[in-house]
Amino acid sequence: MAAVASETVNLVINDVEIAVPKGELIVESVKRLGLEIPIFCYHPRMKPVGMCRMCLVEVGFKQPDGSVRKMPKPQAACTLPAQDNMVIFTDTEMVHRDRKGVLEFLLINHPLDCPICDRGGECPLQNNTLFYGPSTSRFIEVKRHAHKAFPLSKYVTLDLERCIQCGRCVRFTEEISGDSELAFRFRGASMQPSTFELRDFTSKFSGNVIEICPVGALTNREYRFRARPWDLETKPSICLECSNGCATWFDYRVNRLVRVNGRTNEAINEEWTCDRGKFGHEHYNADNRLTVPLIRRGDRLEECDWPTAYAAILSAFGVGGDKVAMLAGSSLSNEGAYLLNRLFHRKFGSANVDYRRTAHTLPPDEAAGNAPTAIADLELKPSILVFGNSPADDIPIIFLRIRKAWFKHGARVVVAHHGETEADSFADVVLRYAPGTDADLAKGLVAARANDAAGVAQAAAACGVDESRIREAAALLGENTAIVTTDSLLNSASGADAFRALRQLGGELNRYALGANDQGFADLGLVPGPDGRGTAAILAGCADGSIESLWLAGADPFAFGDRATVEKALEQVGFVVYQGTHKSEAMGFASVVLPMAEPAEGDGTYVNAERRLQELRAVLSPPGEAKAAWRIGAELALRVGMAKPYFGAKDVAAEIFTQVPAFRGVAFGDRLN
Amino acid sequence: MSELLQLGSVNQRPQPPKREELTLRFSDAAVKELDALRTHYPEEKACVLPGLWIAQREYGGFLDGEALAEVAYRLDRSYAEVEGVATFYSMYNTAHRPGRHKIEVCTCLSCHVNGAYRVWDYLKSKLGVGHGETTADGEFMLEEVECLDACDRAPVIQVGDQYYGPVDDAYMDRLLDELRASPVNTVVQMADSIVAVQVTGPEREAAHR
Repeated sequence: MAAVASETVNLVINDVEIAVPKGELIVESVKRLGLEIPIFCYHPRMKPVGMCRMCLVEVGFKQPDGSVRKMPKPQAACTLPAQDNMVIFTDTEMVHRDRKGVLEFLLINHPLDCPICDRGGECPLQNNTLFYGPSTSRFIEVKRHAHKAFPLSKYVTLDLERCIQCGRCVRFTEEISGDSELAFRFRGASMQPSTFELRDFTSKFSGNVIEICPVGALTNREYRFRARPWDLETKPSICLECSNGCATWFDYRVNRLVRVNGRTNEAINEEWTCDRGKFGHEHYNADNRLTVPLIRRGDRLEECDWPTAYAAILSAFGVGGDKVAMLAGSSLSNEGAYLLNRLFHRKFGSANVDYRRTAHTLPPDEAAGNAPTAIADLELKPSILVFGNSPADDIPIIFLRIRKAWFKHGARVVVAHHGETEADSFADVVLRYAPGTDADLAKGLVAARANDAAGVAQAAAACGVDESRIREAAALLGENTAIVTTDSLLNSASGADAFRALRQLGGELNRYALGANDQGFADLGLVPGPDGRGTAAILAGCADGSIESLWLAGADPFAFGDRATVEKALEQVGFVVYQGTHKSEAMGFASVVLPMAEPAEGDGTYVNAERRLQELRAVLSPPGEAKAAWRIGAELALRVGMAKPYFGAKDVAAEIFTQVPAFRGVAFGDRLN
Repeated sequence: MSELLQLGSVNQRPQPPKREELTLRFSDAAVKELDALRTHYPEEKACVLPGLWIAQREYGGFLDGEALAEVAYRLDRSYAEVEGVATFYSMYNTAHRPGRHKIEVCTCLSCHVNGAYRVWDYLKSKLGVGHGETTADGEFMLEEVECLDACDRAPVIQVGDQYYGPVDDAYMDRLLDELRASPVNTVVQMADSIVAVQVTGPEREAAHR
């Protein structure tokens, strides 16, 4: 944060003097000395509530005569701001007795079913009880009983008996995700966090409440009973389900991914995950993973070895030039994409490579410089314009930042989209335009900024938004506005025009990528050269026979293209290389199938939507004979005599750092030039 | 609570109602009253409590899911938040349909020593219902409550916004007959009188014109 706390106060914590910013919560000040206060309800990213009373400390004030006068009762450190002359005791007999008492109360109703609880082994209640709690309970009465293992949604299981009513999950949905789908119902001992009438928990960020629950009340339905925490191994990873590139932990057991948890990265996801990322990695364990190379013999795909597959490919692509083409899929690493791109440009002499999946594209000179605003900087923007996309769907973690900018720093938000979005709930102005009139509205905003009444009236008539609304929105925008669009804007016919118009609006215009490494492809130049063909032209070329060989590098054209067009293209083209991780419909058209490792099964670097370069080291090993993308590229390069051998993804990355200007001198974790 | 549990298939749980699916049952007067309330507070969140009283009146004394959803919709709050507020307070009838008259029997100290439980047992046997239950004809609901702050009249009972006491069996016979004969729904009447405290004078006249 830019602002430096100007005022400090002097505290004494357990006889140690320390200066801390005025107003800092004692629970945070104590951490500065490396001490720990046990907590349940306090969470550093949410407002304190003081519900669990676990963080009680003794507090006194220095008197003029030098003595310390203690407050008669212990205080909750999570709601107590630091003041001058304050004296904190975290280790007195009274504090220990209080902690025992609080834990005894919390355990009155908590079922001690730790042996069958998913949280057992990594449970804050278990840990705090072990370190600070009483060894036995004096309560012999019957415990509260409620529904166990209630499926709140397809991701989250609610066990009301285990709940200690700390309110972390309720506050998360109120303060962070903003859907307020959880609330406390009823009162006293029967108070329970739940959705409205216990209906489905539909939040797009529901997985986070599982991680912040300090007991096993909210558990992961996919991970349920899969493993005990102490049997798991874990490695840092990044999530590649969308372009945000969140930091995650991949927990695995015997080379099988069992769950994904959020990992702290202040620059991107803080510590949150979206449901797509947290629960979307089941494809790692799918039954239809490809494990051996296949080659077409007659109407069947038969198993073969890698050299046979490579030889078949190189002979088919030998024609080169305009007759071959490649489509890249979004989870290819920079290394894999770079090597294939180089193979096409240098060896096959073809510029027909593309990764873009949108219906329309921007010309290359306008497409550059996609994302001037870093995700973390969005938080401090005075105003944000969300244009032509639903951020919670397209870029979920960026959505959380936009919401945080509003919730914490009072940013003014304008949402312009043809459908409902989650961001409407906190937007100052919502501009709901008729589908396809993106450009009209963008021009209207520009006209309103320039006080061009005729222009506003014309735009308002075209896009069906009130003139006054457009003016109201434009008044909130300025030079410091961050404009958030995504590639999905380009699925609209007037999206490119809208993008051009938004450029005149001033402020920082962002067009965030949608696919995991799309931004990396853009910076590596994985786009058709001046005489090359783009995605649509490649598919058309396949259909009319002008392209003879097509390489699908992790791409599944059925997922984005018009069905009839794609089918015709794949039927007509002579030779299809399907380089992928899973069996799919497109594989049925393949001449050669190359099994590829999932991102976390091999080393690689990726560039996220804000152009941050991140390194992913292999967490798992690939199934069967599948190979990481860089390895496939490297082996082909060696075969065509293009390179000295690469012994790892690092060697390829080193070459990218010297060869690609955008990557020159960039360290892992930094944004590209 | 059990009637609120709707398990459904694990992958097809009942969804939160969509805005267009809501059945809006607030009368014109109620909508105007709510609009008037909005001007009393800096934000709409503050209107949840009085909004629930209006809903309790409009929905015949019982706040079911539809009533809560309508309040949430009209005040732009989340459904869960309104439900949380409504289930916290015992004067909002969220768990049981109260019938026409809700008889609340105080069983705290003063009433207790003055024979509240004798009255309680008598009512239970006479009406054939227990705590939190409504008679089959939908006339009376019985509820045991904490101190009603009227120890001078112990044992005291509350029906709608009226206190009665000291009561005994004969008093109760008479009162039940009177209530049965009266055309008024005291649960709705009480909700209305609480709304009338919040929306007063010209605002209320304008709403009910």
